[in-house]
Amino acid sequence: MELSVILVIGVALGFDYVNGFHDAANSIATVVSTRVLSPRIAVIWAAFFNFTAFLVFGDAVATTIAKDVVVQDVLSIGVIFAGLAGAIVWDLITFWLGLPTSSSHALVGGIAGAAVAKAGFGVLLAEGLRKIGVFIILSPLIGLAMGLVLTLGIYWVFHRYRNVERLNRGFRLGQLVSAAAFSLGHGANDAQKTMGIILALLIASGHAASDASTPLWVVLAAHTAIGLGTLTGGWRIVKTMGSKITRLQPVGGVAAESGAAITLFATSAAGIPVSTTHTITGAIVGVGAARRLSAVRWGVAGRVVWAWVLTIPGAFAISWLTFQLVDLLS
Amino acid sequence: MDRRAIFFLGAAVVCFVLVPLSDGYAWVSLTVGIVYLILALGSWLDARSHRRL
Repeated sequence: MELSVILVIGVALGFDYVNGFHDAANSIATVVSTRVLSPRIAVIWAAFFNFTAFLVFGDAVATTIAKDVVVQDVLSIGVIFAGLAGAIVWDLITFWLGLPTSSSHALVGGIAGAAVAKAGFGVLLAEGLRKIGVFIILSPLIGLAMGLVLTLGIYWVFHRYRNVERLNRGFRLGQLVSAAAFSLGHGANDAQKTMGIILALLIASGHAASDASTPLWVVLAAHTAIGLGTLTGGWRIVKTMGSKITRLQPVGGVAAESGAAITLFATSAAGIPVSTTHTITGAIVGVGAARRLSAVRWGVAGRVVWAWVLTIPGAFAISWLTFQLVDLLS
Repeated sequence: MDRRAIFFLGAAVVCFVLVPLSDGYAWVSLTVGIVYLILALGSWLDARSHRRL
């Protein structure tokens, strides 16, 4: 295998690591903010389930990323490198600003930007991009509805239960399960995006056939990278997710994580790359909205929405410039 | 009409707009839209009953 291919695989795994680091907050914000787990134990818990996701889910999302975003012929080592660079730079900018944006959409925007820089807008695959675009809007709405319906369901089932202390203890334990489920969904959907990029790279460099499925070493490497990223995860976004959008109790934590986990399981099985960040944010807003709409701090939620809107164009532009630079230097 | 019901109604409209764009996943947009319609109705009835109390 050529040195350039190994280098870009390293960058892809670096992106996966940053993804875990950036999104660690999503997996653990609610368990930490409700004080079910200490931050240190929470990241170990989340990282473990990030890694084990490969045992449960296939590679449908990886295939979508590798084959449904841009025409395969245009994918080269330079395009994939520039796409990854754009996504990583965008992720780091939004991480620095404390915004829970989507690493997934940064990746899609990045790959699209680099491919367009190489061969123009004709290389974009409308059908695949439309599927991803529709679910950019649908995934937070599904998460919101799930969080809200589960919260109402839990309230309805337990409304006659008078031992509040015991009930809270039960939900604190329940959060361990729901956080694990969400981390499993996060590992499945997000690690697969890196698997897709590496698969595209292997196909582009002639190390795999165009109809090949993802090799096992790629699956293991991607899940290890995201798990390690989560293990060293950052804290800026925990604050935004865990307390600034709405104040969460253990019951709300269980509803938010379960709602988001169900959404991620379904989309991962269907091969749809969605944002874990969007999904859990929607679910947290849903939990707040179950009480009353004013329980949601819409100013923060609105800031988050703007960051989402800018992610694909932002990563697209950075990757476009990076590809021009790579092209100029080579 | 209460703000929450309006919000849910807006979400339902967004989902229904997405139906023709969703190709093989039109049923997902449609189902989520219907869920938001039900939530809007429930929220409106809830606010109405609170006003009457």
